[in-house]
Amino acid sequence: MNMRLKLNGDVVTIDTQPDAFLLEVLREHGLTGAKEGCAVGVCGACTVLVNGDPVSSCLLLAGQADGADVWTAEGLARAAPHIAAAFADNEGLQCGICTPGQVVSAYALLQKNPHPTDAEIRTYMAGNLCRCTGYASIRRSIEAAANA
Amino acid sequence: MARVDGIAKATGAAIYAADVRRPGMLFAAVVRSPFPSARIVSIDASEARAMPGVHAVLTGQDVGSALFGRRVRDVPILAQSVVRFAGEAVAAIAAEDRATAQRAAAAVRVEYAPLPAVLTPEEAFAPGAPLVHEAAWAYDGAVVKEGDQPANLQSKVAWQAGGDIEAALAASAHTVDLEFTTPAQHQGYIEPQACVCEVGRDGRVRVWAANKSPYRLREQLATPLGLSPERYEVHLVPVGGDFGGKGAPMDVPLCAELARSTGRPVQLARRYTEDLMAANPAHASRTRVRAGCDADGRITALDVHLVFNGGAYAGFKPVPTVNLHGAHGAGSSYRIPAIRIQSLVAYTHTVPGGHRRAPGAPQTVFAVESALDELARVAGRDPVAFRRANLLRDGDAAPLGDTYAEVRGVQTLDAAMAAQRPVPAPAGMLHGMGIAIYDRGTGIGRSSMALRAEPGGGVTAFVSFPENGAGAHTAVQTLVARGLGLAPAQVAVEPLTTDELPPDDGVGGSRVTASVGELCARAVAAFQAERPAPGQSVQATITPGGTRRVTAFAVQIAQVAVDPETGAVHLLHMLTAHDVAEVVNPLAHQVQIEGGVVMALSAALLEDLAVVDGRVTAANLGDFKLASQRDAPPIEVVLVPGGLGVGAANVKGIGEMGNVAVPAAVANAVRDAIGARVRALPITAEAVYGLLHEGASA
Repeated sequence: MNMRLKLNGDVVTIDTQPDAFLLEVLREHGLTGAKEGCAVGVCGACTVLVNGDPVSSCLLLAGQADGADVWTAEGLARAAPHIAAAFADNEGLQCGICTPGQVVSAYALLQKNPHPTDAEIRTYMAGNLCRCTGYASIRRSIEAAANA
Repeated sequence: MARVDGIAKATGAAIYAADVRRPGMLFAAVVRSPFPSARIVSIDASEARAMPGVHAVLTGQDVGSALFGRRVRDVPILAQSVVRFAGEAVAAIAAEDRATAQRAAAAVRVEYAPLPAVLTPEEAFAPGAPLVHEAAWAYDGAVVKEGDQPANLQSKVAWQAGGDIEAALAASAHTVDLEFTTPAQHQGYIEPQACVCEVGRDGRVRVWAANKSPYRLREQLATPLGLSPERYEVHLVPVGGDFGGKGAPMDVPLCAELARSTGRPVQLARRYTEDLMAANPAHASRTRVRAGCDADGRITALDVHLVFNGGAYAGFKPVPTVNLHGAHGAGSSYRIPAIRIQSLVAYTHTVPGGHRRAPGAPQTVFAVESALDELARVAGRDPVAFRRANLLRDGDAAPLGDTYAEVRGVQTLDAAMAAQRPVPAPAGMLHGMGIAIYDRGTGIGRSSMALRAEPGGGVTAFVSFPENGAGAHTAVQTLVARGLGLAPAQVAVEPLTTDELPPDDGVGGSRVTASVGELCARAVAAFQAERPAPGQSVQATITPGGTRRVTAFAVQIAQVAVDPETGAVHLLHMLTAHDVAEVVNPLAHQVQIEGGVVMALSAALLEDLAVVDGRVTAANLGDFKLASQRDAPPIEVVLVPGGLGVGAANVKGIGEMGNVAVPAAVANAVRDAIGARVRALPITAEAVYGLLHEGASA
């Protein structure tokens, strides 16, 4: 199928199988920021924005995403660079494999709630696992981005 | 101090092994055994081979019988006539895309004849048990000998010091004799094992792998094939979480065979389910601890008998003893006049055991620090005061004779207690506070780097070690900038391939910052002595040894609230106190501690691969649960500065200090809350409910 997406602000057409997952489509398109972690929608490493909401792209079929407005960490690097900078400056990452997904979820959170409390960050970000940091520095990064 | 790799990682620009794309690259999938022990009767790959887009289907016959491993070489590339654990690789496919490879893998017909299996060390060590390997003693690197008993032994070590252990226990005023178990626990790195191999016209193999020790990988790949390590060029890529789990050859030998047979680059990226079933998780353990003290609460004797489930292959352990170093640390923080430690590792028909963040130490410390806590209570002593009275003092040797430049256990405990504040439990919940202590030495490893002068006055630091997340590359930037009087932004850090620098031992053992500190000091000194022109470089190397003997203490204090209705354990607060010397990057140091604590809380309360009938049943990250944002309690980090460190940067290790003692602290907190002793991890609501119920009926 020819899949049309608004991808990081640009309209693109991608030839793919309708039963491919959005994660594979994006990665084969060269956007490898979204990672395959658990591949069952638990870890959040594949999180991208689909029509404004953070979604596990490992679970979304290409056919379901046809016509959607999709943003990845690569696009947010241009649209909202202060979030990536806040993670880099506040040790909000170590190995970094979960970080593009964390940044996407953090962006979505701050769009909905520009000044979240610690408890609100914990709840919203619970779907993005991080094995390295213990999470406190991720919360500090999001607070820094909120105040940037 | 911003991370040198921070922006690339946070914007998705960093290229990990699974992100590597090579021209003409094929994708691999693996056929895995559903049986823990079986003979392979036949493999019919005709349907898979006929599928469009499939370039190769390899079985054990196609890849040869060379055996791989970190120390003991006992791991086949693909199963050779028998399978020894459920999840073992039996056949592999390379195809144009991953979906085709996986469809082809599903079309390979393997006929198995199940064989008797030994699934636990107890079964494996029983007289007359089936052998996992006919001649384990014959493998390169094996430490067992023909005829060693019990059968199915991977390794057995024993240490003893001081007086007669039985006499000391018999003479003790108070004793405990308790057994503890921990399950197989995966490292939980979010990046599944992944690699890419490409074979050049000259036969050289280029490798991109999620691997923390690329120079060792090159030797591990070459030696079993009788090749020189230089036949392999390993490209350094960021490692998407390691925690000890990414130091083995793992899938690289198989990926290289697929690349050789197809003449194309091949990527082998596991699905997470395969990683949980068939990588190298922490060894399950069963530990008996007998301990005694006198009427004044002084420890008189400690006897620790550890049995680890090593699984089907020993090749995932790197140390010469083929054991787990953590066993050696049993009781190391205390004055103990009579001590004996024995550690056995069994071959079984289960997933091979490997290293996870201070290998063997979390299992050992959970058992010993739980048992000593109980001993304090049996003796009518406060567990904190009991520990304080028994901790090593400056000038003391550790029970097995290790001596140190300084001993700061009491200071660390006092700093922890001074900062500790009770956090009330919610109404109706039972409050508990628990403490546990760990100490660990710091050393340096073999490593190398080069510094090149750049036009404009900056430098590029070329490094031989990958960035696994803990911040080694940022430490290089910080220390080189400091040494040369530059701004951090004037120092670029670039990893080179294994062709380009002298060997490095890899990232691990809580030695990285100490090593980097010494290495950068030498590189800076060489740079200042030689004053290279722009474009010219100097090189520096370090080797282990020559440093003062240092240990660092960590004191963990957990506060929990236990729901008496359900047994659920809620974490109220963690206090984590650390004996430190200089700290190169305070924020990175703090996050190493916080991350270690949360990883260990996850191990304490959630993680169990749930091996049933030899099969990993927690086979996805929904079932093998990792702590999330909502599970992590408030963590207070207390540092006790001013210690004597190692190397030019004068540091103590931190990477494995945050995690080790945490499960024991939580278990001791639960004991404090409910009056009964938890003796198994993870501490589930069901287990605690059971203990509460027993307590009520007793």
